[in-house]
Amino acid sequence: MIDIQLIGLLNATLQAATLLFIAALGELITEKSGILNLGVEGMISIGAVAGFMTAINTENIFLAILVGVLSSSIFASIHALVTVILKQDQTVSGLILTILGLALSSLLGKNYVGRKLVTKLESITSISEPTNIVEVLISQNIIFYIAVLLMISTSLILKKTMFGRRLQAVGEDSKSSDSMGLKVAKTQFIATCVGGAFAGLSGVYLTLSYVPYWTDNMTSGRGWIALALVIFGGWKPYRTALGAVLFGFLEALVPRLQTYGFELSPYIVKITPYVITILVLVILTIYKGGKTGAPKNIGVPFFRENR
Amino acid sequence: MNNLKLFKRQTVNELSTFYSFLIGFLIAIFIGSIILLIQDKSPIDTFSLMLRLSVGSINSLSASLNKAIPLILAGLGISIINSVKLWNIGAEGQIFLGAIAVNFIYINTQINSPSIHIFVLLVAGFVGGSLCILIPAITKVVFGVNEIITTLLTNYIVFGVTIFLINGPWKDPKSLNFPAAAYVGEEVFLPTIIGKLSFGFLICILFTILAHYLKNKSVFGFEMRIAGGSAMTAVYAGINAKQKAFIAMLIGGGFAGLAGAIELLSQTHRVSTGISQGFGYTAIIVAAITGMRPLGIFLVGSLFGALSIGGSVIQTIGVSAYIADIIQASTLFGALIIQFFFTYQIKKVEND
Repeated sequence: MIDIQLIGLLNATLQAATLLFIAALGELITEKSGILNLGVEGMISIGAVAGFMTAINTENIFLAILVGVLSSSIFASIHALVTVILKQDQTVSGLILTILGLALSSLLGKNYVGRKLVTKLESITSISEPTNIVEVLISQNIIFYIAVLLMISTSLILKKTMFGRRLQAVGEDSKSSDSMGLKVAKTQFIATCVGGAFAGLSGVYLTLSYVPYWTDNMTSGRGWIALALVIFGGWKPYRTALGAVLFGFLEALVPRLQTYGFELSPYIVKITPYVITILVLVILTIYKGGKTGAPKNIGVPFFRENR
Repeated sequence: MNNLKLFKRQTVNELSTFYSFLIGFLIAIFIGSIILLIQDKSPIDTFSLMLRLSVGSINSLSASLNKAIPLILAGLGISIINSVKLWNIGAEGQIFLGAIAVNFIYINTQINSPSIHIFVLLVAGFVGGSLCILIPAITKVVFGVNEIITTLLTNYIVFGVTIFLINGPWKDPKSLNFPAAAYVGEEVFLPTIIGKLSFGFLICILFTILAHYLKNKSVFGFEMRIAGGSAMTAVYAGINAKQKAFIAMLIGGGFAGLAGAIELLSQTHRVSTGISQGFGYTAIIVAAITGMRPLGIFLVGSLFGALSIGGSVIQTIGVSAYIADIIQASTLFGALIIQFFFTYQIKKVEND
């Protein structure tokens, strides 16, 4: 008989991991094309508020997911326009996307703070209180399974398909890709919007299931942890998922420590994920000694020299 | 067949950053107007109210400039760190740790002369800001860990520490509903110059000149630029690039920490979550929009200070204060778009 608390911990781990993983996977795809988007935090926030508003107003949960995903994707296209088409600094544009996203979502969600969802995203089976590992795995909501599918398909697409190969070629060496006849700008534009869509899915998971309500700045740094996860995962989907589970475990474990007999200030407990993220990044950088697996052209705007 | 092609311009207009900013600001006002119209508010009424309440009188003007102080100081810090081509996204945390350091020194020291006391506390703020960026600086220089993520994460850590302090060890029992540390004594309040304008504004002017000199006129500024350029050049020039990067980060962090000290000594008079209202993030916009120029940061910081004051007063007529944030961020996006046309040329060419 497995401890019921342990099952609860596992359940919470998977949920926290799902949230982080989807956003990280989206950023992975964007970065594979050579575009760095630091706007993850803002994009999650936009998806979260758009999904929540739709859910409140229409009570249609699938429409809410769709609207959240599309809003973030459209929002990400600002970054694509500024960096891919207009070749401006990716760091600046991404940072501003985060600031703009947080401000815009707070403005939009002003009248939705504290409101309750009638229909939240429920488990796909009728099990609401899982008692064993199998039940945990079959009692998640639909977005969890979408995340698993996305993980497998992204890995396959990157490795096996022409589109995936081209995407990576563009991110590794945009100049050669261009002379080979690949559409660099188009590929990067699509990859940025896909990254936004994934962040949006992560956002709707946050407001329709994980929390589920809306307040200002409720993403609380998860977008930045997602960015760290891409580095952690060495730009590989499965390893990024592993990282997400690890961080999800920490996020789930820390508030539970008290029940295991540790006396910790709740305020100190709150900062541990951020401390651990920094620690992990440091250990990882030392361990890998510079060979991070990052796409070579990341952050470099592509410009075809005209003669 | 005719085809459109992109050419990089040989020379870029020197004032291009300024023009981009101006046009970007107009674009942002336009976007702000649309948002206001959607919310059934008159843009003209709202903006004129914002203008009147942010620069219309000595009192409102001094409130705006007081608000500009942290934006300018943190922005200057970001621009100094950018000299070595590094990013400081942690100004928000540095502002808080600056204020925490001030309170820590205030509690633990006894100084009889008020002016020396204030000076010591301002130095403490600077050191606090430097301490805040110490770990990102070490991990960047020694191990090469991405400083964008580490400086950002320190914001959440320092904010957590602040919450811990004002709810725990430093909790003022007299402040019941709003957790905060005890007020500092009136003897260490920063004096005002005109109206409500804080003495901090003079410090701000001094540090703007200092940053301008440091970046553009000093040997260290030159070395920072080399260090931020190619690694080989730095080696040939005999410049220890890592050391320059490390020092630049500590100085930049210190600027933001000083902002926190001034906020505490002239505005909040105690450590609370109100020490910074996102100043560290707005400062990134301020620094980036001016192309990291100290004098530009001073001007745009002042304008954005007024915008923030304008944004907070229009809340009274039911307009969200976030409109100011949106205008600030949109200004930079607008400026980036315009900058493209200054750096590139689109020409029609014959396809061969």
